[in-house]
Amino acid sequence: MTTPEVYVLGGYQTDFGRNWTKEKKHFSALMNESVQGALEVTGIDPEDIESAHVGNFAAELYCMQGHLGAFFVEAHPSFSGLPTGRHEAACASGSIAILAAAAEIEAGRYDLQAVVGIEQMKSVASSLGGTYLGTAAWYEKEAKGVDFPFPKLFGKLGDEYDARYGLADEHLAEISKINYDNAKLNPNAQTRTWYMNKEHALARDDMNGEVGGRIRLADCSQVTDGAVTVFLASRRYAEGYAAARGLTLADLPRIKGWGHNTARLRFDDKIRESREAEYVLPHVRSTITKAMERAGIADVSGIDAIETHDCFTTSEYMAIDHFGITAPGESWKAIEEGRIALDGDIPINPSGGLIGAGHPVGATGVRQLLDAYKQVTNSAGDYQVADAKNVQTLNIGGSGTTSVSFVVGTD
Amino acid sequence: MTSTTLRPSPGREALSLRRLDHVVVLGANGTMGYGSAALFTQAVPRVTFLARTKDKAQAGLDAAIDQVRSNTVALRADVGSYDDDLEAALATADLIFEAVAEEMDLKISIFDRVEAARRPDSMIATVSSGLSINTLAAGRSDSFRANFCGLHFFNPPNVIVGTELIPNVDTDPEVLDFLEAFCRIRLGREMIRTSDTPAFAGNRVGFKVLNECAQLAEGMSPVLVDRIIGPYTGRALTPLATIDLVGWDVHRAIVDNVYANTNDEAHETNRLPDYMAKLVDAGVLGNKTGGGFFKRKEGLVLDPASGDYVPQDSIAIPDMPYVDEIADLYSQARYAEGLKVLLDAKGDEAKLARKVMAGYISYSFERVGEVCASITDIDRIMGMGFNWAPPSVLVDLLGTANTVKMLSEAGVVVPRAIADADPSTVFFQHPTINRGRFFVAG
Repeated sequence: MTTPEVYVLGGYQTDFGRNWTKEKKHFSALMNESVQGALEVTGIDPEDIESAHVGNFAAELYCMQGHLGAFFVEAHPSFSGLPTGRHEAACASGSIAILAAAAEIEAGRYDLQAVVGIEQMKSVASSLGGTYLGTAAWYEKEAKGVDFPFPKLFGKLGDEYDARYGLADEHLAEISKINYDNAKLNPNAQTRTWYMNKEHALARDDMNGEVGGRIRLADCSQVTDGAVTVFLASRRYAEGYAAARGLTLADLPRIKGWGHNTARLRFDDKIRESREAEYVLPHVRSTITKAMERAGIADVSGIDAIETHDCFTTSEYMAIDHFGITAPGESWKAIEEGRIALDGDIPINPSGGLIGAGHPVGATGVRQLLDAYKQVTNSAGDYQVADAKNVQTLNIGGSGTTSVSFVVGTD
Repeated sequence: MTSTTLRPSPGREALSLRRLDHVVVLGANGTMGYGSAALFTQAVPRVTFLARTKDKAQAGLDAAIDQVRSNTVALRADVGSYDDDLEAALATADLIFEAVAEEMDLKISIFDRVEAARRPDSMIATVSSGLSINTLAAGRSDSFRANFCGLHFFNPPNVIVGTELIPNVDTDPEVLDFLEAFCRIRLGREMIRTSDTPAFAGNRVGFKVLNECAQLAEGMSPVLVDRIIGPYTGRALTPLATIDLVGWDVHRAIVDNVYANTNDEAHETNRLPDYMAKLVDAGVLGNKTGGGFFKRKEGLVLDPASGDYVPQDSIAIPDMPYVDEIADLYSQARYAEGLKVLLDAKGDEAKLARKVMAGYISYSFERVGEVCASITDIDRIMGMGFNWAPPSVLVDLLGTANTVKMLSEAGVVVPRAIADADPSTVFFQHPTINRGRFFVAG
């Protein structure tokens, strides 16, 4: 028996440049704008939605608010009574919500699902926010009493690459520059108006200060407020949706493949386990290849663009060889050859990624899926990758702990 | 159903229409000069900062570094004076960006030198917010006029992305397409094209509303004006606080220019109040001189009738319960419901708020065809230049029938585009600007 298809019908991303605390908005405003925006953009009748999944990391900490599934119901009068729930896996929360929604469609429970990824982070000072993010690591052992623990953990990822293969700051700076450049093309990107160039990314002065080890400000993703809603549908709903819009089912993208692994929580444990392995983070590698395998794609040559989890430049550096774009340890070659730039043969993060577009933690996985949808439906505007048919995502929670990958494409 | 169409922006392909490897900024020591120069260093390999003296140009470069917080600005910048360096710099300039003081004679004399030293294929732009682009182009060579336009950044350009592009009658469409694409894609600007009319589009509409509020202060305390025309009317910064921020001299220059050179249906709202004229003459220029309507630090507010400052907390504020009700709805992104509360609110304060909002909507729609091609252009410059709820966003949220009623009750012109619109019309045609960002809750 073949697995039933899961179609992606599009959705809506809030402008990641907004500061909802400055606008004096409640958490529910983020939810409402993203859900209502998605209804408007897709023209989906709210009465058709049968269930909703919310991905969020830490609203209890940032906003003193739990029970987030219930806030979906607040977004439209016709949602009263809908089954909803919330999913958490640190920065991979959004992708976990997608997996749950997709599984319910595959199981035949529902025909149309809403998935919302959401995080409001500018509600607290950045240092306190950094501490909250530390709960995505083993807090007691890795983050307690440490200022900004995550840049330090991903600095260690760079150190591990350096020890195994050698790593030049020059290549990390180029990753940063490409993400900022692409973000300028994305009207929803947080940094689209920020000042950035290669020299600034390479600067070793107080205006590009050190955050943790080899990680400097330009190497970091952003503290972001944002929400993204996408609709997932069964074949049955998708057929009607396509017909009503003069499309065929083949025009609609679907989730062709998925991968999902959870490694040991502590960074040092992961690295210890991978010492003899081919890849620095073998479980991340397995997530990527499993998604390709399920999509019937042999290797990265069958992928037209990637939306990856560049929470720091080192995580994108890791993704390059883990996707198989280069041999392990040779990510720098793809950077030097221009292959990952927007006009390269395998563009990474046309949206600007987490560094350029922003990283509202629980929303990121859903944002990646929506950007994959935009690419394969030729609706990404200025950051469109020409002829994108299959786009793969990689969303990571913690220091490479939970990883989820989707292949989104048309037939 | 839409009544307006969005002119497609030139895309990435337009970036290849011209080369832009060297920008020369004239007047690089002024606020707009160094702010614009800093912006260019992001995307242009070489930016020359020129001023009367090399020291002044260097001061501009230092200010640019501070503004965008990157020492790397200096790596792409060089500095010089008009006397020693202008001709050599212009010889290699692809874009000559003029940001000297807003005086016609000064601009004409510097353009004489530009005309003599520029390459015939170089582009020339002025950041002028008030002078006529066609007048500045008059009498110049064919290649100057074909390559010349207004490129109006708002201050400070690293924060405010709304930008106006103003052709003269002879500007080459390729120059406009290239500059629009370059500024939008490489510099992150929100670009609108305007006619060469007084104050162009953004300041024409925006300062009309600001001046109307300044006129209201002839009859009530500025504290009350900014409370009544508060954030709930679709603006982060209240009107009189905005005038203090931009400077009373700037405000005066803009409204005087509009009052002298236009004669529209709201002509008298563009007349500078006498109390402002007197105080400007006495050196009151707003925040840059320690206060205008407000002296925030001291907790004082101007009494326009006497010219004295009084404690802000001595001003009696009437009960306006609808304001909190609206703020609560906005805080949940329930913007249409919030505006409905304003429509239904009783009392003189709510009536006044509706009048100012109605005047803004009416004046914006009535300017279409005069200052720019579509309401979408005014929407974008009011949103991204002033951070105000664009007029179309207000109409969409209010509904056309309610809008017509509100405008009629306010005694302002009901624009045909609204009166004749099908009820299903969606006026705001900019899919990537979030409407909600303009409604601060409180």
